[in-house]
Amino acid sequence: MGGLTTSLLTGMQALNATQAALAATSNNIANSNTAGYTREVAQMSEKQEQLIGGTVVGGGVSLNGIQSVRDELINLQIQQQASQRSEADTESSSLQPVQNFFSSTGNDIASTLSAFSSSLLQLSASPSNAAVQESVLTSGQNLAQSFNSTANGLTSAQTTADQQVTTTVAQINSLTQQIAQLNAQLSPSVMTQQNGGTIEDQRDQLVQQLSTLVGISVTQSSDGEVITTGNGTPLVMGGQSYNLQTTTGSDGLQHVLDSNGNDITSNIQGGQLGGTLQIRDHVIPGFLNSLNTLASQFATAFNSAQAAGYDSNGNAGQAFFTVPSGTTGAAAGISVAITSGSQIAVSSDGSAGSNGNVANLSNSLTNALPSGQSAANAYASLVYQVGNAASNASDKSTALSQSILQLTNQQNSVSGVNIDEETTNLIRFQTAYEAAARIISTIQALNTATINMVS
Amino acid sequence: MIAAEVRTRSVKAGEHLQLLRSLASELERAMDAMSRNDLQEFEDSIASQQDLSEQLSRLADELSAASQPTYPLPSQSADSDLMHEIRTATGELQRLNFRYSILLEHSSRSVALMASLFTSFQGQLQEASGPGLKHQTWSCQM
Repeated sequence: MGGLTTSLLTGMQALNATQAALAATSNNIANSNTAGYTREVAQMSEKQEQLIGGTVVGGGVSLNGIQSVRDELINLQIQQQASQRSEADTESSSLQPVQNFFSSTGNDIASTLSAFSSSLLQLSASPSNAAVQESVLTSGQNLAQSFNSTANGLTSAQTTADQQVTTTVAQINSLTQQIAQLNAQLSPSVMTQQNGGTIEDQRDQLVQQLSTLVGISVTQSSDGEVITTGNGTPLVMGGQSYNLQTTTGSDGLQHVLDSNGNDITSNIQGGQLGGTLQIRDHVIPGFLNSLNTLASQFATAFNSAQAAGYDSNGNAGQAFFTVPSGTTGAAAGISVAITSGSQIAVSSDGSAGSNGNVANLSNSLTNALPSGQSAANAYASLVYQVGNAASNASDKSTALSQSILQLTNQQNSVSGVNIDEETTNLIRFQTAYEAAARIISTIQALNTATINMVS
Repeated sequence: MIAAEVRTRSVKAGEHLQLLRSLASELERAMDAMSRNDLQEFEDSIASQQDLSEQLSRLADELSAASQPTYPLPSQSADSDLMHEIRTATGELQRLNFRYSILLEHSSRSVALMASLFTSFQGQLQEASGPGLKHQTWSCQM
């Protein structure tokens, strides 16, 4: 009797276990194209044998539960690199419009500086010609306007980045609240033995999204995941989320505060928010500072050349450009001070028809400014800085995308790995990376040789 | 003699350009292999990169020697278009090298972490859904 019942029970258990396994497989197939889905497997174990009527009878199979196959280390790596890629993407996309202010349009600083130089050359040939004098005045006004529009463009890009801060912080808060809710659903007291794979998948997806918004650190506690920003500001602790806030600082820009009201703006790194703050607080101010220095030093040098001569009316040369004192706001505030071409100090001695001071005026455009470079070269350096920053951000993003792809491929093949084979492969990878790193140095050294050859 | 030296220098500059382009292509191939975790192709590419780098170094030495000729050469001793192409190819190679170095930096870090995990953890790389079991995997990583 016992034999038949036992066999039936064993059969039922096997059927239940197999059905669960089939359900898991079916679920895997159904979700094969679902983003963020983690493969599930049925975990079965052999039940203890029983001694019935002096005979040892197999205990059958028992279903322990459905488990998700995941590798948290790879998840962590992907989160970190996704955060850095997002930061690079944000920097790259923010720098694209900035590049436009420096591209050759005919109204850019390089073009108007060149036109100003040409007009001075004509003035040297015809110092008393009123039309030529007016042409110099107009060219000077165009140059000043180029400085103004470039500076205003940079300030506008900074304002756009500033507005993005508030939006991104709101998105971060929305995600941390959702993650905290899922953490609460996954807490041991609620979950007991249930399969939380689907909820974990949802949470992983949200954490991935969060990592693209700001650099985060994820750790585990008995209550679930603990998420902080890179500098340790808590965002989620188990079922509790901690909202970030924004406030307008004394500099007129949005500052990010933690839930206790501490200003954490300068500590935020990574993700869209880190990239936005980097652009707003470091990159654009750096460009603006260079532009202001150029505007201020150029205007001072040209005004000095003006002061060394006399205008067509025999008066001592007065300042050609008006520029705010100091460098702050120089590019945005530079303007032409004189109102007539006759006020250009063409003469070195005040005599009619003299062009003795035009050379001084022209030299102020080609001589080195206090920064060590001529105005044209200083501007070219600035253009290079802008282009290089945009190019580096874009290259960094591309490299990180490839690295993330590598990790994603690794994540997809994580189940059923052969530990020994993987370890061997990893050591081979390490050796290959070391060899590759040496080649990178060689290529950098080769660059010098090539430059010497073609120069 | 001067014409011969100019010709030799142009031929070598042409070879140099070809090698620069091949090396750039190898860097692309290596990055692609890394993305796909194709170890064999990655190792093959590194071997090619080493070979190309050696050839480029050798050629650079020869060109440096040729830049101090027996006879004074005209200032434009090689075709200016060719020089422009070399300059462009060098710029592209440097850009790729920069990207390659970033990718290597991140991948090396990941692989180092993975290697330490694999050597310290001898079980299955599977993790249960429950928070308790997940904890164990995390402690292994640490």
